[in-house]
Amino acid sequence: MNLSVLVCDDSNLARKQVLRCLPEQLSAKTQIATNGEEALEILRSQKVDILFLDLTMPVLDGVGVLQALKDENINIAVFVISADIQPEMQSKVLELGAKAFLRKPVKTEVLNEQLTKHGFL
Amino acid sequence: MSTLNLSEDQQDCLQELINVAMGQASDQLARYLDTFIHLKVPSIEQVDAGSLSDSLNDEKMAVAVVSQGFFGYEGIRGEALLIYQPKDSDRLGDLLGYEPEELSVEEQIIDLSSILTTTFLNVFAGQIDNQMSYSAPRLLSSTKSLVSEHLHQLSFNWDLALKVKITYQVTDYSFNCDMILLIPESAIINIKTVLDRIVDET
Repeated sequence: MNLSVLVCDDSNLARKQVLRCLPEQLSAKTQIATNGEEALEILRSQKVDILFLDLTMPVLDGVGVLQALKDENINIAVFVISADIQPEMQSKVLELGAKAFLRKPVKTEVLNEQLTKHGFL
Repeated sequence: MSTLNLSEDQQDCLQELINVAMGQASDQLARYLDTFIHLKVPSIEQVDAGSLSDSLNDEKMAVAVVSQGFFGYEGIRGEALLIYQPKDSDRLGDLLGYEPEELSVEEQIIDLSSILTTTFLNVFAGQIDNQMSYSAPRLLSSTKSLVSEHLHQLSFNWDLALKVKITYQVTDYSFNCDMILLIPESAIINIKTVLDRIVDET
């Protein structure tokens, strides 16, 4: 299975944390975006299977990305990885179509568990 | 002007540690007030003694400032300021839901500030394998000169400092609270070592 994965976070450290947690068996092609607008540009022009999405970002935040994906009917599995752990925010992103909410800093076991749960492993 | 010279990696790492701490502090605040807190990307900047004083001038409208010192291992220390804007203080009393006679607005503000500061800094410290202790929170009057005076009474050298500003925007109540962390140069040198370690390990 050759998956295409996009990691969208304004922090280089956070992107590295996510990439490091990805299991090898996923054998994914990975790309990065540093804000929501960059992510949307990529998602509009090419097929991506999984988006790991931060929420608090400059230019366009994660909620904005989820809303745009919904409005533009772009189908992609979104896993939100955020420090904004307020229950209201968690339910908001799930309502907007995210597969799961993972709290930062992300842990390998948690990420694997979610990828398995949603059929990617 | 001398400079703290945070590398791009160090700055990025610090910002991410702050993000995680800010997220948990706002979760506490949201639960405490039973509302939603809107978060923005925090600002991190270097200030010298002059611009520190100027930047506090921006806060001269504040109705209340609560100051609390923090002290960790390895020389990591600084001062946290919680700044409330005017006409929000009465709203704050409403928000907290105390009976007026039970606790004064001042006491409520100190309570709330201490929850935010200690949650934020405990989470921050946990991420860098450190542990903080705190001085008692102090309510300062709003005027800039008093805040400046207070800062100069602390045993820090403010010739150069790192200023981190986090805005907690309480959506239901048009109420804002800014958290300003001031970290003196001597502590930054220690924090840089810790940041380098985290960057290397990631």
